[in-house]
Amino acid sequence: MILHYSCSSSHQHDEQHDKVHGPLANRLRAYTDSIEYEKSSLDAMQQVKLVLAQIHDTVSVLLPERTSMIRSYPCSNCHTQPLAKLSAGRKADERKSHWDIAIIHGSAEVMNCQTCHDEKNMNELVLLTGNAILFDESFKQCRQCHSTQYADWVGGSHGKRLGGWLPPRIMNTCVSCHNPHKPAFESRWPSRLNTSSLTE
Amino acid sequence: MEPVQLPENKNTGCQSGHCSCGKKKEDGFEQVMSKPSDRRDALKKLTLGLLTGVGFTSTSCSVTAGDAKKEKAQLNWEEFFKGNYQLMTDDEKNSTVKRLERLYELNNGRKINVSAQGPMKDVLYGYAFNISKCQGYMDCINACVQENNQDRNSQMQYIRIHEHKNGSMDFELADDNFYHEVPAAGHFYIGTQCFHCENPPCVEVCPVKATWKEKDGIVVIDYDWCIGCRYCMAACPYDGRRFNWATPEVPADEVNHNQHYLGNRLRKKGVMEKCTFCIQRSRNGKSPACVEACPTGARIFGNLLDPNSEIRWVLANKKVFRLKEDLGTEPKFWYFMD
Ligand code: HEC
Ligand code: HEC
Ligand code: HEC
Ligand code: HEC
Repeated sequence: MILHYSCSSSHQHDEQHDKVHGPLANRLRAYTDSIEYEKSSLDAMQQVKLVLAQIHDTVSVLLPERTSMIRSYPCSNCHTQPLAKLSAGRKADERKSHWDIAIIHGSAEVMNCQTCHDEKNMNELVLLTGNAILFDESFKQCRQCHSTQYADWVGGSHGKRLGGWLPPRIMNTCVSCHNPHKPAFESRWPSRLNTSSLTE
Repeated sequence: MEPVQLPENKNTGCQSGHCSCGKKKEDGFEQVMSKPSDRRDALKKLTLGLLTGVGFTSTSCSVTAGDAKKEKAQLNWEEFFKGNYQLMTDDEKNSTVKRLERLYELNNGRKINVSAQGPMKDVLYGYAFNISKCQGYMDCINACVQENNQDRNSQMQYIRIHEHKNGSMDFELADDNFYHEVPAAGHFYIGTQCFHCENPPCVEVCPVKATWKEKDGIVVIDYDWCIGCRYCMAACPYDGRRFNWATPEVPADEVNHNQHYLGNRLRKKGVMEKCTFCIQRSRNGKSPACVEACPTGARIFGNLLDPNSEIRWVLANKKVFRLKEDLGTEPKFWYFMD
């Protein structure tokens, strides 16, 4: 589903607490109106399925659609029976399905599969209140426990833009970068060396 | 020698329609161009012999070798005596760009697309770097090298990633040659590149006005006007500029064909180059290659004049700082931590 983007997003500004000083900063502060551009970030994103998401009272963005990227979706292909029946008494570490999924996220006290997945309808996620949400809205789930990161994501300092810098804002959702089951970034080898010591 | 009919673009003005075509010229450029024309005369006398002697004898083996050779010679000739990009009319910009495209085709049998697209209205580019996010993966540098047709032999790179011990911001103590799994415990990473200063010291010292700040804030270099004196390199407090000691080489099938006159078009020996915020991308609304390649989201790019941009949110809501702020260079490149 590709939604048409219509509403304009705007950030809340706290000009009094502006941390930037100097002539350049003064020049920036003089600009308060929205700017009209002739191009749009959507030009480069024709091939990508996007969904419109209201991530704050005044902020709407476009996020990549998720379900078509999840191979085991729809979950209801198998999850036609209650979990207890499906697992036939097998423990989590003896699971015949999803054997590659283990939660390395917080602790077993904080969460298990059912904290996030809706046992009654596996095709949807569930909030702590028991309210169901779509897989495309998984940011609402993360937000419950990670409110600082969420605020930075809404503002624009955590996460990443897609399709360039022009409006409308298209961005990665939390699970584009963090595997919800194992959300830490992994250490790895750098893809190259610096060459500062060589003559350039 | 016969003049070659070049494809002309009669309807003046750029394709973008953003700039005030016809009205001409960037502001802020003082009309002190006597030096460049001196340079031109001097070079003319000096190299005329060389040019006719060497430049015109390159061999070619197609049936129309004669014609192609003639065309090449003519194009080279016109290229050699063209003016400083800043003083070109839109027509002149279009012609030089067409010449460069044609010359590349004649020399390499492949087409490239060189753009002379001007700045967008009401845009001033800015960049923010989130130190808490960078993991030292260096994907940004690989993307930059590929995008900007940088010399593969000298392993030219515009971006450097410095590994700092937690608690230290002293670049003298940073490790620039790390090669181990990253992030290393107890360390953080910080990237530097050209900061596109509002008051760029490099521009001031250039004796031939081959480098300047565009209206959208990007500090650019006219590679055909640069004489390679490297004053700018010495003047830059941030190690932002690079010099081509040898003719840059890029394997033919790795050349990025989507080029800009002031950006990633192929350079030659003896000229300066540096980060241009990927002018060939940013003026089309795309983010620089480093921003797009970064898997952590540590790199934030956008329009400083747009109150709704992420970069403005970062400036207003994070404790941002710039390097050597006391110099008054006003880099448009900020650092911050979560
Ligand atoms: C190919 C069939 C299949 C599909 C498709 C499938 N599941 Fe399952 N799932 C199972 C089976 C079988 C079990 C029972 C556990 C076992 O294998 O022992 C299970 C168990 C689970 C459990 C409970 C695990 C535990 O340890 O308590 C969760 C949560 C779950 N599935 C979520 C999902 C979600 C979400 C999707 C869709 C994205 C999905 N499943 C798609 C077959 C499937
Ligand atoms: C922190 C919340 C959270 C917990 C806890 C969690 N999941 Fe998930 N899970 C998600 C989200 C969000 C997605 C969708 C990710 C996406 O959009 O790619 C997902 C996707 C999946 C999928 C489909 C994608 C895939 O990797 O195959 C399966 C299957 C799944 N979960 C099973 C489980 C099982 C089994 C458990 C318990 C062991 C579990 N989940 C625990 C949030 C959670
Ligand atoms: C029920 C609460 C809860 C929910 C929902 C939740 N998390 Fe977490 N998360 C935690 C806890 C607890 C930790 C561990 C914090 C710590 O160790 O300080 C954590 C840690 C993390 C970390 C840091 C991992 C590390 O080891 O560095 C990331 C990243 C993360 N979560 C992302 C997510 C994402 C993305 C989602 C949404 C799919 C999500 N979380 C949903 C509770 C939650
Ligand atoms: C562009 C990729 C990206 C996106 C999108 C993203 N994060 Fe992160 N996140 C990171 C990186 C990189 C880190 C730092 C990882 C580290 O230091 O190990 C991080 C760290 C975290 C942490 C650990 C605590 C911290 O601040 O270092 C949490 C929790 C977290 N993210 C939650 C979220 C939530 C919630 C969302 C969505 C609202 C989100 N992230 C979206 C890349 C991303």
